[in-house]
Amino acid sequence: MLELSNLQKRYGNVVALDGVTFEVRPGRVVGFLGPNGAGKTTAMRCVFGLVRPDAGEVRWNGSPVGPQDHLRFGYMPEERGLYPKMKIREQLVYFGRLSGMDPSAASSAADRWLSRLGLSDRALSKLEDLSHGNQQRVQLAVSLVHGPELAVLDEPFAGLDPIGVEDMAATLRELADTGAGIVFSSHQLDLVQDVCQDVVIIDHGRVVLAGPLAELRDRSDYRHLEITVDGEPWTPDLPGVETIGDSGQRYLIRTGVDAEAVLHRAKQDGAVTSFSFEPPNLSDLFRQAVKR
Amino acid sequence: MSPLKQVFLIAQRDFLQRIRSRVFLISMLIIVGVVVVAGPLLAAQSAVQKPYKIGVTGTVPDNFQQAVDASAQAFDRTVTVTSYASTAEGEAALEKGDANVLLVDGNQLVWNEDPSYQLSAIVTSAVQSLERSKNIATLGLGEQEAAQLLSPEPLASRSLTAPDPSQAPKQVASYVGSILLYISILMFGQFVMLGVMEEKQSRVVEVVLSRTRPRWLLAGKVLGIGLLGVIQLVVIGGAALFTLSRANVVNVDLAGIGARVALTVLIWYLLGYALFAVLYAALGATISRQEDAQGVAFIPILAIVPGFFLSIYALEEPNAVLPHLGSIIPPFSPFVMPTRMTVTNVPTWEVALSVVLILLATYWVLRLGARIYQGSILRIGAKVKLRDALRAGSEQ
Repeated sequence: MLELSNLQKRYGNVVALDGVTFEVRPGRVVGFLGPNGAGKTTAMRCVFGLVRPDAGEVRWNGSPVGPQDHLRFGYMPEERGLYPKMKIREQLVYFGRLSGMDPSAASSAADRWLSRLGLSDRALSKLEDLSHGNQQRVQLAVSLVHGPELAVLDEPFAGLDPIGVEDMAATLRELADTGAGIVFSSHQLDLVQDVCQDVVIIDHGRVVLAGPLAELRDRSDYRHLEITVDGEPWTPDLPGVETIGDSGQRYLIRTGVDAEAVLHRAKQDGAVTSFSFEPPNLSDLFRQAVKR
Repeated sequence: MSPLKQVFLIAQRDFLQRIRSRVFLISMLIIVGVVVVAGPLLAAQSAVQKPYKIGVTGTVPDNFQQAVDASAQAFDRTVTVTSYASTAEGEAALEKGDANVLLVDGNQLVWNEDPSYQLSAIVTSAVQSLERSKNIATLGLGEQEAAQLLSPEPLASRSLTAPDPSQAPKQVASYVGSILLYISILMFGQFVMLGVMEEKQSRVVEVVLSRTRPRWLLAGKVLGIGLLGVIQLVVIGGAALFTLSRANVVNVDLAGIGARVALTVLIWYLLGYALFAVLYAALGATISRQEDAQGVAFIPILAIVPGFFLSIYALEEPNAVLPHLGSIIPPFSPFVMPTRMTVTNVPTWEVALSVVLILLATYWVLRLGARIYQGSILRIGAKVKLRDALRAGSEQ
């Protein structure tokens, strides 16, 4: 299990991390969310010693993380990059070996990944000769080639087409099924909701919400309400009901408010053609948590 | 996974990626080709001096050919003599370069432009000796008396130090060695700098550093590229030795000199490269763009170029104050000491002091360079100021 404990980091007057604490348990996929500049990348870099926190600690299975632990982790930085002129199979073997694999294990892992990504026939191509999407897939393969026990992926879905997104999501689920812990950052909240069991939301260097997604949704003080009357969106003009965004079609309703009463009121205006009343989705939770 | 193994893997990658590149292989083949071909050409040029071409017209002294041959021999030269029907014809030959000098009526030398003092002496002494022979014959002296008069006992001559016939080849070999050292340290140092910068530019550095520490990446890169330099020096040195072993110069063990110079150059390459490569790596880590490379590359050149010029100075004056000091004080010593060691006898303590000083300097640069490297390697974008890099590096 990976634990980030009270991480603090300051760059001059800018506070990047202000007591960040959360954990990534084995076999779980954790969505790491936050507005731009919230401190996600800094926290991820701390896991690999790429940034040294001013205070706090990163622990792996209870002990402070050291260089030998880093070899059991896989990292995909936000700024993608591999050796442009190196052949892709060579890169996979090289990074596998740099993580401590012996040459034959690294070679067979590289071949396995190439065939899985459908790039076996491009094994001898230079990275720079691949399409953007394929380069991104090789980047994922490099971070996972050594079969890590923990994967830290900074915006792995950014720039992928819908098929790429599905592939990536499937890969992450499979990896989690092997018992690896996964933490990834993303701004695509629907996607995170589909893929993750746990979420951590960070804002201004502080964790503002963290826990299993299902629990967080249930625990919320709000319910998500959507009603149409005679096929038109209906506006519940009642106390305790808030409009989400500018659309005027979705509402948040405090858990104390009686849903029956709302439905009753809607019926007075016409035939209720649809009525949805459910726990808030991740977007709602996020907005609430970062108060934006 | 031990750090040593990681250093080895990093070195291996850098070495293999570069040695496989066509540009590197072709440039090395060209240098080797030039060395193999140029050697014999230079040797042929210096070994055989062309004969002087003497034109004669009008009255020619009797036996001029034998006399001028004999006097040319005294200067270790050969001559050809051609007769021209008239002064005008002879002058035309001078202008065309068919003759180096024209002797008119045995009493006047005509040159195309500047007189050659050696050729002038050869012809004058030939004409004068013929004149003397004629006068002696007129005086009616016997053959023995005449010979005594014409060829008096030559002055005895001795040198306090026996002249070293290998001095000139040593200087040439040392000169070539200096150029090789200069090119190698500059070339492979810049390879290191650009390699470091490219890793930042392509952002791969963050992936690498999630698996190893900056200092091991730095060490691996410096080693891998340094080995490439060793291979290049060995190949070029081998080509040079091959060339020298086929050149034939009497009394001088060219191959022996070549081997000694090659070995000295190799050792001092390693010492000099280590110092400069770390400096180049640190500077490379402060930049992420090709445009900024020129700006920082001049810093090591400020130390490399004076070293190179001091080494050229040392060829002629190995014990003058500046080359003497330069051969001991880093960062000039890797260029100057090998030259001095080839052309003069440098006391062992001076060599030892020089090696100790450069090792100390390398250690110091390594510590400082590693700090700058660590402090700037993950800061992509604008050039990192050295002061900021040092501060950030000390926190790592």
